[in-house]
Amino acid sequence: MKNITLSIVAITMAFITVSCNQSTSKNEQSANDTVAVSAQQASAPAKENDTVVAPPVSDTANGQEAKTAAGETNKFSIAPIITDYLTLKNALVSDDDKAAASAGKKLLATLNKVDMKAIPADKHKEYMDIADDAKENAEHIGNNAGKIDHQREHLASLSEDITDLIKLFGTPQKLYQDHCPMFNDGKGAIWLSENKEIKNPYYGSKMISCGKVEKTIDNK
Amino acid sequence: MSLKKKIILGLIVVLIGIQFFQPLRNQSGEVTDMHIEKVYAVPQNVKAILQISCYDCHSNNTRYPWYSRIQPGAWYMAGHIKEGKEELNFSDFGTYSTRKQRNKFRAMSNQIRDGKMPLSSYTLIHRNAVLTQEEKQVLMKWFDAMADSLK
Repeated sequence: MKNITLSIVAITMAFITVSCNQSTSKNEQSANDTVAVSAQQASAPAKENDTVVAPPVSDTANGQEAKTAAGETNKFSIAPIITDYLTLKNALVSDDDKAAASAGKKLLATLNKVDMKAIPADKHKEYMDIADDAKENAEHIGNNAGKIDHQREHLASLSEDITDLIKLFGTPQKLYQDHCPMFNDGKGAIWLSENKEIKNPYYGSKMISCGKVEKTIDNK
Repeated sequence: MSLKKKIILGLIVVLIGIQFFQPLRNQSGEVTDMHIEKVYAVPQNVKAILQISCYDCHSNNTRYPWYSRIQPGAWYMAGHIKEGKEELNFSDFGTYSTRKQRNKFRAMSNQIRDGKMPLSSYTLIHRNAVLTQEEKQVLMKWFDAMADSLK
């Protein structure tokens, strides 16, 4: 009888250990993800230099100047959100689902860090609606490495969120709103780009120059 | 008693033991004011499909089959329902912002078109939840129309 009890205890322990291991491996995975994100961060500035984007610091300064000029006292800027969005968009331009996933996670982290107190009260609700949706899109893109089609579906929705954020808060840098007529069974989708040249994130190398600039979004 | 017998006996005891640990049932027993059917006029044919193929994991009321009490399957099922409701809960649809509703309608249409929903692990057991081409068209048409109306 003692033996039986012992074996039951042993098996229960084994059971618990297995379930614990599962959660540990999940933790490890997220730890790895974090590493991937920082690796992405490290490589991001190099890419930005290639495409001749003004350094983010001066962008922020410009954005704030513009806002101060408009008579707003807050210091809230969507510059970090735009930067992460552009990194994500560029990853999909180069058909890189893994880079897109880590950029999605970075964008999610940036959105979660936003200090609501810095946002004017009359824009709170609108911001929250947009941000909730953007977070969901960023999260899906972050969790779907290997499913680039799914990531691109969420980019379509995310691009609308970012466009609406710009309508609310202005853009710290000059952006182009591009339109891809084919995406989503001909329903079409927009994206935002820091460059005038068309580089389609919805089809990548398959149809890199497909689409056209709909409008230029500049400092307001 | 041989070691093998002890292990088998131990496993049986564990299996019996876990039957006493049942996850909470996803059955609120009511249709809230925020349910999609209260917020929008859902056509009868769409409603019928949603009830059979979607609500088990995407609402606050699951129709549990008899074997759903058997562990560890019940845990697996509860995990699926939790995940499903996080993504989309028809019982709370009215609480979503217009933006979120629009995007959910679009996403639903895409998921149906791509055959990603209902999950194959779900339709494996719930054969009647498998969507015919006709049913897919009915759903997609309504989802698309709803998404467009929310622009």
